[in-house]
Amino acid sequence: MENEFLNNRQHITRKHFLGKLGLGFGSVALGSLLMPDLFSGKDEMVSTVGLPHFAPKAKRIIYLFQNGAPSQLESFDYKPLLNKMTGEELPESIRQGQRLTGMTASQKKFPLIGSHFKFQQYGQSGAWVSELFPNIAKVVDDICIVKSMHTEAINHDPALTFMQTGAQQGNRPSMGAWLSYGLGSENKNLPAYCVLLSRGRGNGQGVYSKLWTNGFLDSIHQGVQFSSSEERVLYLKDPNGRDRADSRKMLDNLAQLNDLNYKEFGDLEIQTRIQQYEMAYRMQTAVPELTDLSLEPDNIVKMYGADCLAPGTYAANCLLARKLSEAGVRFVQLYHQGWDQHGNMVGEMPLQAQDVDRSTAALIMDLKQRGLLDETLVIWGGEFGRTNYCQGDLSKDNYGRDHHPRCYTIWMAGGGVKPGMVYGESDDFGYNIIKDPVHVNDFHATVLHLMGLNHEQLNFKHLGRRYRLTDVAGKVVNGIIA
Amino acid sequence: MHRLKNISINIIFFVQVLLIFLLFVEDRIELPVGLQVLGRLHPAILHLPIGLLFFFVIVVMAQNEFKRKSFRKVALLILILTSLTASITALFGFFLSRQGEYGEEALSQHKISGTILSLLCYVLLVVFDRNEKPQIAFYSFGFITIISLLFAGHTGGVLTHGENFVLGPLDSFTEPSASRGETVFQQAVYPILEKKCISCHNESKAKGKFVMTSLSEFQKGGKHGKEWESGKPEESRMVQYIHLPLEDDDHMPPEGKPQLTKSEIKLLEQWIKSGADVERKPADLKEGDSLKILLAGIVNSMASVMVAKEYSFSPASPDVIQKLNTPFRTVFPLYQNSPALQADFFIKEYFQPVSLEELKGVQEQLVVLNLSKMPVTDKELDVIANFRNLEKLNLNFSKINGAGLSSVEPLKNLTSLSLAGTQVTIESLKPVLALPALRELFVWSTSITADQVISLMQQYPNIAIMTSQFVDDKTLQLGKPVLLNEGIIKKGELVSLKHSMPGVTIRYTLDGSDPDSVTSKIYDAPIALAGTSKLKAMGCKPGWYCSDVFEITCFLEGKKPERTELLSKPEKYYSGQGAASLTDGWKGFVEVLNTPFWLGFKENPFAADFDFSADPPDLNSIVISYARNLPSSAFPPLEVEVWAGKNSKEIKLIKALKVEQPKEYGSSQVEALIIPLKDAHYSFYKIIAKPVDKLPVWHSGKGKKGLFMVDEVFFYSNF
Repeated sequence: MENEFLNNRQHITRKHFLGKLGLGFGSVALGSLLMPDLFSGKDEMVSTVGLPHFAPKAKRIIYLFQNGAPSQLESFDYKPLLNKMTGEELPESIRQGQRLTGMTASQKKFPLIGSHFKFQQYGQSGAWVSELFPNIAKVVDDICIVKSMHTEAINHDPALTFMQTGAQQGNRPSMGAWLSYGLGSENKNLPAYCVLLSRGRGNGQGVYSKLWTNGFLDSIHQGVQFSSSEERVLYLKDPNGRDRADSRKMLDNLAQLNDLNYKEFGDLEIQTRIQQYEMAYRMQTAVPELTDLSLEPDNIVKMYGADCLAPGTYAANCLLARKLSEAGVRFVQLYHQGWDQHGNMVGEMPLQAQDVDRSTAALIMDLKQRGLLDETLVIWGGEFGRTNYCQGDLSKDNYGRDHHPRCYTIWMAGGGVKPGMVYGESDDFGYNIIKDPVHVNDFHATVLHLMGLNHEQLNFKHLGRRYRLTDVAGKVVNGIIA
Repeated sequence: MHRLKNISINIIFFVQVLLIFLLFVEDRIELPVGLQVLGRLHPAILHLPIGLLFFFVIVVMAQNEFKRKSFRKVALLILILTSLTASITALFGFFLSRQGEYGEEALSQHKISGTILSLLCYVLLVVFDRNEKPQIAFYSFGFITIISLLFAGHTGGVLTHGENFVLGPLDSFTEPSASRGETVFQQAVYPILEKKCISCHNESKAKGKFVMTSLSEFQKGGKHGKEWESGKPEESRMVQYIHLPLEDDDHMPPEGKPQLTKSEIKLLEQWIKSGADVERKPADLKEGDSLKILLAGIVNSMASVMVAKEYSFSPASPDVIQKLNTPFRTVFPLYQNSPALQADFFIKEYFQPVSLEELKGVQEQLVVLNLSKMPVTDKELDVIANFRNLEKLNLNFSKINGAGLSSVEPLKNLTSLSLAGTQVTIESLKPVLALPALRELFVWSTSITADQVISLMQQYPNIAIMTSQFVDDKTLQLGKPVLLNEGIIKKGELVSLKHSMPGVTIRYTLDGSDPDSVTSKIYDAPIALAGTSKLKAMGCKPGWYCSDVFEITCFLEGKKPERTELLSKPEKYYSGQGAASLTDGWKGFVEVLNTPFWLGFKENPFAADFDFSADPPDLNSIVISYARNLPSSAFPPLEVEVWAGKNSKEIKLIKALKVEQPKEYGSSQVEALIIPLKDAHYSFYKIIAKPVDKLPVWHSGKGKKGLFMVDEVFFYSNF
């Protein structure tokens, strides 16, 4: 064998070697002709990839994020066994030694506690809904309740960040940024990704701008936070003494300067900046009409509830979300704070539910009557669930629940999701999932799929590797797709 | 011959390098159309290297039959051809792989194994060429080449024919591959039989003389006659056998064979129960029919791959599409490589009829058109009628009144039409309702009533006509009015209230009493305040309950001391900006107390000096602005003392007061503690305020010390 190779080597002369080398280079050169961007100097697409990979079911998303983790056991996951066993100890066979938060890990007892609020079946689907959500119960045949969500994080910030960006640590692009990157903006006069905040009356948890970050994507994909004040988009008005024509002239000259800079340094962020100024200029026309909720007719106001006219309330944000979505905003992200009921479930849960119930249902009905529900995906839910046992001492008339990432409930409506469906199941204790688990990565994969994007193909190269919203996991949940 | 050989070997080498290079940069490659065609030849030419390689093996095995020289010549020729075709096959395969539509994992396996095969063929060729006599290296490379050929061939087969294609017929567990028909029987029942029964009940085997492969035989039954009774599953022999205990000799399928699952049994039973109709289609079943529900489960479990509609028209040129795009009109394909286009219009001020007219450039491709809220009139419907392939048209809140709806008659493909918020009348809808493809019509917020919608739905059962689901069931409460002023009220500034709902009357008081809906003052113009005072307001409107009371203390600008000094130490957590916080003119928010605006006192009483020596004012009151946020233990102070004099040495107590303490939690507010003064003409003031030493019994922190939070102290001379 050695002999054969030796034999080989003796054949290779310098002439041969150089000849082969030349051939090899020629081959590489020929192959390079197939790479259109080789000499263009840019490594990745500038802003958006632009179009869905395949026919989308949904064109836009309204994500009603219930920040703080609303209890599934007081809302949509009815567990009569817990009422029967109230006060009894959580069986070890159910808990199976799973980790708890620092807030209850040292508790000596884990007394089970059933819902203080009554449940009833509604609609043709017969889904169980608690009495706290009478209006959502009315549209239950339009929604798809997923009772088998689970996540990896056990505390608010990582769980929230995971739910929004697909990673617990932050700095990754959020869902809205990925969609803006993948699909671009439908309406060039508005940002593709808008963020609306409101605060409820329950124990609250913070939201941070890292949740709507563009991460390593171009900064044009960052979520634009709307203000809760009368002026919903800050600094959009022309300053006193300057009119639109002045602004136009100023922007044109500024763009020339920026362009010079771009030619010198080649920083793509300069281009982004020019685009942002242009969009802000067009937003001056588009936004005032959109954010003027006083133009809404009385029956719409009644539907969403009177709060919908007070800026910064959840109801107003729902109404605004509908208007933005109707105007082609790709992703409208709401956060409603106050769902962290470690204690005083009986006192706070009804207040929180009251804040969201009417306007959430109104949003669904409103989209439906405009013919928009089938192309708008509405998502309602928090970052994890709450425990079936009481946090702290179980008193006669009140209780609290700790964080529970093992199993929780969210729901979706419209946008190609099966209406009037309950997907997945938890055990009788509401503790573990017994059927069709849906991981956060699966949820993301499904949402992207509904928007016509393959979650494995929507990626971005950063620091030497390709990132995705679902990173290295995620399976599309076909069972909920209509 | 020698020359030809060298050229061939160089070409092969060239292709190897090219292949490896392409594999490394594949993500950045875009294929010209010509190469795509070459790629599609891959499935044809791949057979050449396979055949040639096997032929080569035979020639090598039979080498003793040849003369030495002619063997080498023949073998080398075959090997060159093998290697050449293998390289080209691999290259074409690469071109094909860039055209999508394959499973990712199987594709990458095939791509890598194919490239390795092509490389191995080249190595084999070189080794054979350089050595007169085939030796171990040659044989081992040969062996590896054959193995990799088998692997590459197999993975390629998986790509085209799917997993387990070859062994499929032997395996009774495989999913039925037959194309699904339209009837319930074809979609759901036959697949069960195919999977679990047919291996024994077919024409060649025909156990019990019962054959299930053809419909007529299946209906005829076996040696005992009919195997099932329509409508009576419990009397059907087939079902009875299925339910026998597993040990029973007659149990079907026999022990050891794959058994029916519960849902499969249920489906068979339901199908027989519902009449065992072989013609019926799923659409014929009623909503809620248990067979329909079972069926839905089965059809859904088959991976729900999205089937996109195919369009026969050709795509518009990208240039044309690009030109149509403006900030106020976007035109884009529904998805990548789709010829179908959607057009959206935005911002009504910029809409002109001509901007719709321009879409005629893509009139064939336009499938979705969104004109929501645009000032489109009935005249423009004539233009829209040109878009023959239109499927979805949104005219919500446009200016049409329906008179021109008859011109939409050519839109034979229109499935969804939105007319919400327009002036259309029920009469004008006639031509719309006659559209053959229409499935959805949105008429919410038009003159068409709910009753009319119901009768229309009966007349046109194929069209879902949508109006509002919302029933105005209860009287609701209005939201509170809001104050438009921010921060401290400047001299001469008027106070403005606002309610965001049109038609609301705002009533208010300034004396601290609750307003009512009858006698309290109506807000009709901005209010001029006489001094720092509590403003309470509520909104009322017929048809609504009055709002809750909105309550806020409006602080007026006062005289600013020249120098402020803090004499006691605030709590570390609430130390704000020190003394500056007291007179900086910034008001704090009552919800968040650890901000620069607030100073908090618990362990020490609050004590501060205020120096006016340059221009001593005539004061008639001092107002301390404090936080009442009882859940956070921020209480009014227990007692307050005001000392005054010429300078810090010569001061006397001019005012001392006890402050009334709250009896219950109440709402959180920034409150004004008003201290009236008489003939106060001093240069120097010192204010001392004691925090609550014991929180009351009803408070969750009972017995502990309370906080006194202060953000501003005001000095007034004309209050």
